[in-house]
Amino acid sequence: MNMHTQPQRTPAETALIDAFGDRLSLLPGDGAVMLKRDDAIEAIKHGLPTRRVESWHYTDLRRLLSVVPDFDPAAMAKAIAPIVEGSAVLPVLNGKSDAKVPAIEGVAVQCLSEKLIDGSIAPGLDPYGSDDAIGALNTAFVADGYFVDIADGAELEKPIELQNVQAGGQTHVRLAVRVGAGAKAVIVERQAGDGAALVSSVSQLVLGEGAEVTWLIVQEQPDTATHLAQFKAHIGKNAKLTLFVMNAGGKLVRQEVMVKTTGEGADFKLRGINLLAGDTHSDVTMVLDHAVPHTTSTEVIRNVVTGKARGVFQGRINVHQYAQKTNAKMACNTLLLSDDGEFSTKPELEIFADDVVCGHGATVTEIDHDHLFYLMARGVDEKSARGLLVKAFVAEVIEELDDETIVEALEARLDEWFVTHG
Amino acid sequence: MPAVQDTIDRVRKIDVDQYKYGFQTEIAVDKAPKGLSEDIIRFISAKKDEPSWMLEWRLEAYRRWLTLEEPTWARVHYPKIDFQDIYYYAAPKSTPGPSSLSDVDPELLKVYEKLGIPLREQEILAGVQKTDASELEEPSDNVYKSGRVAVDAVFDSVSVVTTFKKELAQAGVIFCSISEAIREHPELVQKYLGSVVPTSDNFYATLNSAVFTDGSFVFVPKGVRCPMELSTYFRMNEKNTGQFERTLIIAEEGAYVSYLEGCTAPQRDENQLHAAVVELVALDDAEIKYSTVQNWYPGDAEGKGGIYNFVTKRGDCRGDRSKISWTQVETGSAITWKYPSCILRGDDSSGEFYSIAVSNGYQQVDSGTKMIHLGKNTSSRIISKGIAAGFSQNTYRGQVSAHRKATNARNFTNCDSLLIGDQCGAHTVPYMEAKNSTAQFEHEATTSKISEDQKFYVMQRGIPEEEAIALIVNGFVKDVIQQLPMEFAVEAQKLIGISLEGSVG
Amino acid sequence: MLEIKNLHARIVDDGTEIIRGLNLTVKAGEVAAIMGPNGSGKSTLSYILAGREDYEVTEGDILYNGRSILEMDPAERATSGIFLAFQYPMEIPGVATMEFLKVAMNEQRKARGEEPLKIPEFLKRVKEAAASLSMDMAMLKRPLNVGFSGGEKKRAEILQMKLLEPKLCVLDETDSGLDIDALKIVSDGVNALRAPDRAFLVITHYQRLLEHIVPDSVHVLYRGQVIKSGDKSLALDLEANGYAGVIGEAA
Repeated sequence: MNMHTQPQRTPAETALIDAFGDRLSLLPGDGAVMLKRDDAIEAIKHGLPTRRVESWHYTDLRRLLSVVPDFDPAAMAKAIAPIVEGSAVLPVLNGKSDAKVPAIEGVAVQCLSEKLIDGSIAPGLDPYGSDDAIGALNTAFVADGYFVDIADGAELEKPIELQNVQAGGQTHVRLAVRVGAGAKAVIVERQAGDGAALVSSVSQLVLGEGAEVTWLIVQEQPDTATHLAQFKAHIGKNAKLTLFVMNAGGKLVRQEVMVKTTGEGADFKLRGINLLAGDTHSDVTMVLDHAVPHTTSTEVIRNVVTGKARGVFQGRINVHQYAQKTNAKMACNTLLLSDDGEFSTKPELEIFADDVVCGHGATVTEIDHDHLFYLMARGVDEKSARGLLVKAFVAEVIEELDDETIVEALEARLDEWFVTHG
Repeated sequence: MPAVQDTIDRVRKIDVDQYKYGFQTEIAVDKAPKGLSEDIIRFISAKKDEPSWMLEWRLEAYRRWLTLEEPTWARVHYPKIDFQDIYYYAAPKSTPGPSSLSDVDPELLKVYEKLGIPLREQEILAGVQKTDASELEEPSDNVYKSGRVAVDAVFDSVSVVTTFKKELAQAGVIFCSISEAIREHPELVQKYLGSVVPTSDNFYATLNSAVFTDGSFVFVPKGVRCPMELSTYFRMNEKNTGQFERTLIIAEEGAYVSYLEGCTAPQRDENQLHAAVVELVALDDAEIKYSTVQNWYPGDAEGKGGIYNFVTKRGDCRGDRSKISWTQVETGSAITWKYPSCILRGDDSSGEFYSIAVSNGYQQVDSGTKMIHLGKNTSSRIISKGIAAGFSQNTYRGQVSAHRKATNARNFTNCDSLLIGDQCGAHTVPYMEAKNSTAQFEHEATTSKISEDQKFYVMQRGIPEEEAIALIVNGFVKDVIQQLPMEFAVEAQKLIGISLEGSVG
Repeated sequence: MLEIKNLHARIVDDGTEIIRGLNLTVKAGEVAAIMGPNGSGKSTLSYILAGREDYEVTEGDILYNGRSILEMDPAERATSGIFLAFQYPMEIPGVATMEFLKVAMNEQRKARGEEPLKIPEFLKRVKEAAASLSMDMAMLKRPLNVGFSGGEKKRAEILQMKLLEPKLCVLDETDSGLDIDALKIVSDGVNALRAPDRAFLVITHYQRLLEHIVPDSVHVLYRGQVIKSGDKSLALDLEANGYAGVIGEAA
């Protein structure tokens, strides 16, 4: 984590370390898991990352994480309606999974607590690097979640919706999904709740050869919650992953996306919208590793910043030395609508192979005055015209998803955000 | 620019090692003892005959430096520098201080002649009308030989001579070594020195503030357009000696100056440290154009030796409608750590950064710029072209920020990288920070290799492979090359060709 | 002048065979038209003649003035007199067209053991050639092909052909993307270059171009082979009846 020993612990750091001591006897896990937890809390004892840690440059977690709530085992959280009707819902309520989930054909579901107790998840609990604060926090405290195994060749008709619903306090959840060779699935990850919680959530996805997955992250935490999330994926040979992130809530949010192409012909698409309002801080950080030859990726991120919100997008594309014929393109566009808001972007290319085509583009702009004028010339009043243009700016990204049902479901979430924050 | 065939020919003439400025000269020198302490700083200050305020300024910087740690965020790797194993002062014995041309040791004049920089004052040629044909014809010689440039020649720690001082003085322009300026124009130096790069700015700038030995000083008064190009040529000759130069350029209201900087060093197995600070101040309606062709010794084919180039360059567009433009062609140094920046403080001010960074062998480059938008209606433009070959690592690192009050800030950034070979790396790390809703930033970056389609097309017209690649590379860097004064541009283009020699197989 | 004997060639990357036993002879002074449906190997043939490395000759030979050119790189072929007018000319940013012309013309001269052109003579030749093709000199100051319209690019190809004075001109779908006026200008440019010691290989999909550049022989290419040869009436026949008949006959 932080290279320098901190002179003094912040109240949040102290609270986390104390909570670990208190919770230790309640945390599930065999010896291997408990060792990982020990390592993780040691990392936290070295201090939360500050802006001096390059990957946290725009989100000084040590300064921003001011309050850590106590665990609240009695808090009640309820499952919510899935965004796509008929989805198989796997709820984690106040940090606890449900042992009696509906059966889904071709899919085996296990509570994560079982995998912690038998230790089979232990290798996946390692943080990915010395600056992985979210990984460390989650490994130290994770108590439950799901392990979902989609059989080779299974083609799911309806989406699986993984719900992480908090009701205050702390919740630390892990959602692990393995998708077998040639399988096809749509998976929705819902992050919601109504408390002033500290949430850490780590999703792990492994795509077998030729698998095709659309994964939607819909984050709508209340503006009192701290949401620290990580999505990690390995994309195998000829497999395709489309990841859609809608980040539209929370007081302090960091959503990390760590994706690696591990087989030739792998393809990754990231489409994201960040809707920022109020006095909030929201950071989406992506690290994409093109680790083998002949893989492709495109990333499009659209941000809308209102109020006093501070937004961050960091996107790094690493092309490894032998990953020839990589084709990677990233775009990040921001509409900054308020003088009190701010947005920082750091799109990075790290290229070690020569036969590649890589690029990124980033813009920060106002609403296009010509477009605004055009709409107003057609009789639309300024406020509505602005609203229309802002919505169109983000809706463009949603519409790139092929599935009509999903597009409609996401547009409904978008409308709701505009009703609340418009 | 028709440097193509010529580039190839020149490269062929050069021996195994391509660095042609690697010779060293036997010149009697006056050196301070090795190492760094308050006593050494007192020694330097005394040698320069400095006033006491200058010594105090240096000592304060030194004490501050002792508390700082070397930065590690750049993508460069090198063994720890032993700051006590460096000579901080070395001066040719024969030259007690800046003098007129006739007083300069003929041996020194020979060195500059050999570097292609004859230090003489020729009549300024009248501008020649450009024709269709002249655009295609190569200027026969380099910018220094044209005699249209005033030169401040810095050899190790001291300025040995400054040409055209009289002519410049007639226009009201002060062009001299910084040591002379401290003695002769203390009021200007005190007002501006450290006002753009404070003594506490960063590890190397603070070190420079403590131990800087010489450099150039330019003052262009209100309303004056400097009548000729000004130039400083830096030469590191002594072994184990650091070069810490300090340059300060001030353009008063409505003034204009174009300044060129060149540099070379002998070929040695040890690494040598070059830690310069350059400060530019542009008042209302003033314009400063600063061009660099950096050709420090890059080390040998195995990565042994070469200059560590850790430089802080910053321009302050202090006045309204002022403009500062940086153009750099970086081909030398083992390690480059350099971010010429603009603080756009005045309303309607503008900053530009045009850069070509070529790396080959085991060179490491981490370079870019910062455009800090503070005033209203400020604009900036960044064009960066990186070319990585051999085993080199080439990083563009740049920051663009618009502060709360920077209404209508505009930035356009374009960074392209070209990779030649599969053992090198090209990296792009831009930081964009907007805190004003009327700011408009546009950034684009690409990384690729030379397109096979382009190469085939050019070769189909009868142009051999190596020349076809040189032609395409020259096209790739054209946007930046054309920002340089014409004769300098030809030199730069040749230099790029030479730097990349042996990288295409 | 050109003799292609039982040529077989494939794509290096994936091994797909494109040219499968092609035979063709073109004499000095002759204008030979190569026609054929899409995917018959017409453009591939032009690339192989010019020496593109993406294709590998697995069998047969290409003789140019009696000598095999298979071992020559693209630049050597070009200086020996083979010119390819590209279907899609490449844009080369930053390289001024004039500069490019000068370098290319001097390479031709060097190969012939001549001195480089003096600037005034060079300018005179470019100006004359540009005027004959109704090209604006301002266009030639721009980077090579960058921002040129489709028609401008094709004209620039013919301009280069004029200035480099090749002996074997391969025109790859030069008519595609041209309006009728531009087609006329380009064809006139080509016709003006017809000479007893120069041969043309005109690759086209339509007979339209052959109304302007009248061929001495017409060859139909299909699946990497010449399946029928004839005089200019063959082109008219193809225009009227399509390729199906000819293909059926050959099958």
